[in-house]
Amino acid sequence: MAEVLNANPTIRNASDLPSRRRQTHARSSSKYPKGLISSTVPPSAYLPDPFSPSSSSDSELSDDDDAEIEPIDEQEIYDLISPISDPEHPLTLGSLSVVNLPDIFLTPTFPEKGSSSPLTTLTVLITPTITHCSLATVIGLGVRVRLEQALPPRFRVDVRIKEGTHSTAEQVNRQLGDKERVAAALENGTLMGVLRKMLEGCENGAG
Amino acid sequence: MSSVQQYLLAVNADQGKALSIAKDTARGLESKQQTLIEVVQSLGEYINDEDATIRARVIDYLSQVIRQLSPTFLSRQQIQVLCRFLCDRIEDGGAIGGLRKLQALERFNKDMVAMTFRAMLAHFQDLQIRPQARRLEILELLNDLMLKHRDALKELGTESLIGLTDLINGEKDPRNLMVIFSILKVVMLEWDISGHAETLFDSVFCYFPITFRPPPDDPYGITAQDLKIRLRDCIAASEYFAPYAFPQLIDKLDSTSPNIKVDVSHPSTMLISDTLQKDVLQTITACALSYGISTVSKYSITLWDSLKFEILNIQEEDLAEEALVSLQAIAIRLGRGLNSTDPKTPLARYLRPITKECNEQFQEPEHKQVKPAGQILKVLGTASPFTFFLVVKAVVPSLMTLYQDADSVAKQRALLEVLAQIFDSAIAVYGTPSIPAPATKVENPLELFKERLFELISQALMGSAADEVSFRVVALKALLRLCLLRRYLQDNEIGMAVQYFDEIVLLEDQSRKDDLKREAIQALVELSRIKPNLIMDITFPAFMAKLPDSSPSDDRDYLIILEGLAQLSVERYVADTLIRRLLNRLDIVLQNEGSSTYPKAILSTLHYVLSQRDLDEDPNLSSYHERIVVGFARRVVLASIGKAPITALNEEPTLEILGRLATMIVRALDEHKQKAVALQIYSLFVDEADFVPVPFRDNIPKPQMSTMILSTSLMAGVSLQFTDPGAGSISKILAELARLAFPEDVPAVRKAILRQVGLLTNKFLLPQETDAVLGILKNLVSELSETTSAPMNAVRIVFWVAKGLIIRLAHTDEIMKCLLNLLSVTQCGLASARGFGLLLAPDEVLSKENGGKIRLLAKQKVFNICVPNIAKEFRTANSATKSNYLIALSGILKHMPTEVVIPETDTILPLLLQSLDLEDRDVKAATIQTLTVVSQENPKAVEGHVGSLVGRLLKCIMYPKANSAHVRHNALRYLRIFPGMVKDSTLLPYKNTVTRGLLNVLDDAKRNVRKEAVECRAAWFNMDEPRSD
Repeated sequence: MAEVLNANPTIRNASDLPSRRRQTHARSSSKYPKGLISSTVPPSAYLPDPFSPSSSSDSELSDDDDAEIEPIDEQEIYDLISPISDPEHPLTLGSLSVVNLPDIFLTPTFPEKGSSSPLTTLTVLITPTITHCSLATVIGLGVRVRLEQALPPRFRVDVRIKEGTHSTAEQVNRQLGDKERVAAALENGTLMGVLRKMLEGCENGAG
Repeated sequence: MSSVQQYLLAVNADQGKALSIAKDTARGLESKQQTLIEVVQSLGEYINDEDATIRARVIDYLSQVIRQLSPTFLSRQQIQVLCRFLCDRIEDGGAIGGLRKLQALERFNKDMVAMTFRAMLAHFQDLQIRPQARRLEILELLNDLMLKHRDALKELGTESLIGLTDLINGEKDPRNLMVIFSILKVVMLEWDISGHAETLFDSVFCYFPITFRPPPDDPYGITAQDLKIRLRDCIAASEYFAPYAFPQLIDKLDSTSPNIKVDVSHPSTMLISDTLQKDVLQTITACALSYGISTVSKYSITLWDSLKFEILNIQEEDLAEEALVSLQAIAIRLGRGLNSTDPKTPLARYLRPITKECNEQFQEPEHKQVKPAGQILKVLGTASPFTFFLVVKAVVPSLMTLYQDADSVAKQRALLEVLAQIFDSAIAVYGTPSIPAPATKVENPLELFKERLFELISQALMGSAADEVSFRVVALKALLRLCLLRRYLQDNEIGMAVQYFDEIVLLEDQSRKDDLKREAIQALVELSRIKPNLIMDITFPAFMAKLPDSSPSDDRDYLIILEGLAQLSVERYVADTLIRRLLNRLDIVLQNEGSSTYPKAILSTLHYVLSQRDLDEDPNLSSYHERIVVGFARRVVLASIGKAPITALNEEPTLEILGRLATMIVRALDEHKQKAVALQIYSLFVDEADFVPVPFRDNIPKPQMSTMILSTSLMAGVSLQFTDPGAGSISKILAELARLAFPEDVPAVRKAILRQVGLLTNKFLLPQETDAVLGILKNLVSELSETTSAPMNAVRIVFWVAKGLIIRLAHTDEIMKCLLNLLSVTQCGLASARGFGLLLAPDEVLSKENGGKIRLLAKQKVFNICVPNIAKEFRTANSATKSNYLIALSGILKHMPTEVVIPETDTILPLLLQSLDLEDRDVKAATIQTLTVVSQENPKAVEGHVGSLVGRLLKCIMYPKANSAHVRHNALRYLRIFPGMVKDSTLLPYKNTVTRGLLNVLDDAKRNVRKEAVECRAAWFNMDEPRSD
């Protein structure tokens, strides 16, 4: 940590990062016909009637909404890992383009079994800011730890360096893929300290 | 026995007595029974005693005597004698107190000052080893001399300067340091220190940085911040310090930079170096602002070289901010008194390397350091018109070239952001039309680039691809700034900008450009404050033309337009026009068929616009009344009786909004008009020959029944002295309303009637009539508990009557008792339990603004009656009605202020725990809500229940079939706050259960539940990890 390896990296504007909000807006605005105006005029300040429980008044959480299943998708994975902060900069992996939405892949682990097997393989390709970045392993580890803590056990997590973006990608990949080496690394107090600091931004982050 | 002897004997045992002895002696002196010589001589035998304490006490005696004398009693000679005597004895305790008293006397002259000062110096080694309180006494004597005899000390020149630094040397106590710093600051500011700057500087700088941390419950109340400020004042006191201060400060800044020193595994080091650096930066700022121009100029570039590192390699946001302040301070200092933009001034020399560095950064506009570089220019530009001029000259031409040559939108955006930051400083320097800045002779340097800037930004906003949202947002903000800048753009140019903003709001595809649209509306709103005529002439016609004449079938663009119009009506006459035009438009829309959504939206807009203004003072009020209240009401009624076509106005949702508008207008009417309205509550401004009011009629058709919604709104608006006498006594009309409400199954109409019941019993009922209504209520209640099939509407009526009375605190005890009894009745118990949620709920119609009698203590009272009763009855209730008590409790707690609930936590908690086992999801959600609040306010209370809470919450979370997403989400959120709120040792036994239980929740069907589960799990995982604070 004595010197900064890449003091002046390229950054992306936060509002340009992929987010669910923009994707879903079209849908929600047709669903809530009040649209923008609801911020200035509440549609009706009339109270829900306490006598008829769970009445349709609470449309946001009504029954048909409850039944709808929202599967874990690439965007959700992205939202989990993009707020991780870079060990060198007070910037997120998302804004440094270290993690990118198109580099996240969800595939059924056993496609031949169809939907009967819920097992899913998740592949995340990370792009270090410079090709000789010695912190690539730490970043990869951070992503891996975050995903393993946040995803249900039916996911197989595979974090690797994107091809052609790092000089020692193979070596780093081997390290990230080796369960025992990962486990050993997590025993290391100093390293855990770094990881914890990286993951701090994930809590309460990204609204 | 002499007084001295008596004093010596008494002083140990009885301070008060000793004091009175000294007082007696003083009185003796004043009445000339004794002479001063005698008093001094009487000390003789003790004054050379071997025992230092005895010597000290004797001197103390003398000091006490002096303290008791009246200020003018001692002659100069006497003071002289005493002063010499005390100075000779200065090493003995007590002398300092005497000297402090003496120096306060008018006749104490400068020779005596010198004598005192020299005496202190002669014995300073002796004085330094005294305990803190004694040292403080000495410092206070010095401080007194400094205040009262500053010139005398100043005449001592170097002797006093050196002497003071010696005297103070090595002091460590914060209380003493506070005094020392203020003494030294005076020396630094007023003495000639040219030859001794280093000595003086070192005497204070050795304390930098202050790392003092006050002990817990510090009795003296001195904070590190107090010390820091005093020390900083000293360092900044004289520019002679610059050769020592700046190099050392820079050194401290560089050597403690978090890049170098911080060990990531010890976040605490970060904290210390962080505050230290902040201190260093603030000291640099203080020095830069106080030292002379030539001195600051000498160090300005060296300072820039170190400060830039903090800003460009931003590690901590607040440090970079502090460094920017320092940079700005230097520019402010160098610009003070300047009257030219000549490139040879110290200011220009300072700015040159900075603008050069920034220009270099801008070559790679996508990189991280461009943003801080832009901030540097912004704060410097804000410093003064001169810096702004020099900055613009140095960077804007090249920025524009770079922009034109940029090969990607991302680069252009970054450069445009820098330009926008420069416009920010332009506004700070030259102001806006509404807030002009102080006048300056320096011409706005942006003037030269006006045409090109306007064109370039317009092109960016209107000419780039539609999906470049963030780029266009930046362009829009930049353009708005140019419009706001005082004396910059011409009206026709601002008009162009307004057209652009209009186009964005009106033409852009609605679904995706939310951000941009919102910004555009916001920009128009800001412009409407400074250029209302442009908004009226350009935006208004454009927006109105886009509003359709009839309800469109699917497309809802009009909502954006209406919202835009509503927000634009900040200016009074803009609003007047808007109201008029919207009403005209509504008339047209109502003639055409179509869904009621559009007319509803127009009415909502009117409601918003009217609610933004002070209707009481509005000269148009009566026309609103005629047109909106009377006009529309009449229209609704005539349509309902078939004398006019039925329109969208006759639909209940439209009527509700119309009702809200009517209430607002009627409330503002004068007494005379209100009286007229009060007579028309049920006839609704229609001739009786055409329309017979709804009450006291049978078989009323639905459209006529729904006019009751308007009646309610009129009743809500009129003041209480104008009740309709024609409708008969209140009990009679109450019975009639109950009759009407009983079979009503249209929710909106039923609610309107019930609200009339509430308004009658709360607002209009006279105090002497409450007894009669209580009787009616009791009858209704007993009917309820006797019938076998209690209809829901009957319960509703009971609770609305009760609500009206309870919140005005009429017969609360009796009513609550009746209602609580209902809970054990099998037929209506459940419905009644839900009714408890109504009693204290805030209501739009039955409100303070509408003249409702709402007593603050009502909630407390209901709580105090309900909680013990429910707690008691719950225990003995049978299984069929047990849950009713919990539901009722949840309804009461929902609207209870936390401070009322907290003292009863122990009573409520077991009940709340049981509520979590109920099926009812509303109750569950409300219970979790209450538990969250109660636990946060009173974590101790939940400590004993952690086990059962965790188990029940997990049950709520893990079974999605039985629990709505809302319940699951809130239960997780509640569970998440346990770590940190409850002792780790209490939670540890459940850690595994929770983290394992939540594992499957990570696969919940709902995204927000999963998200909460991730965070909740993380909180439980990390709870026994060391926390960084």
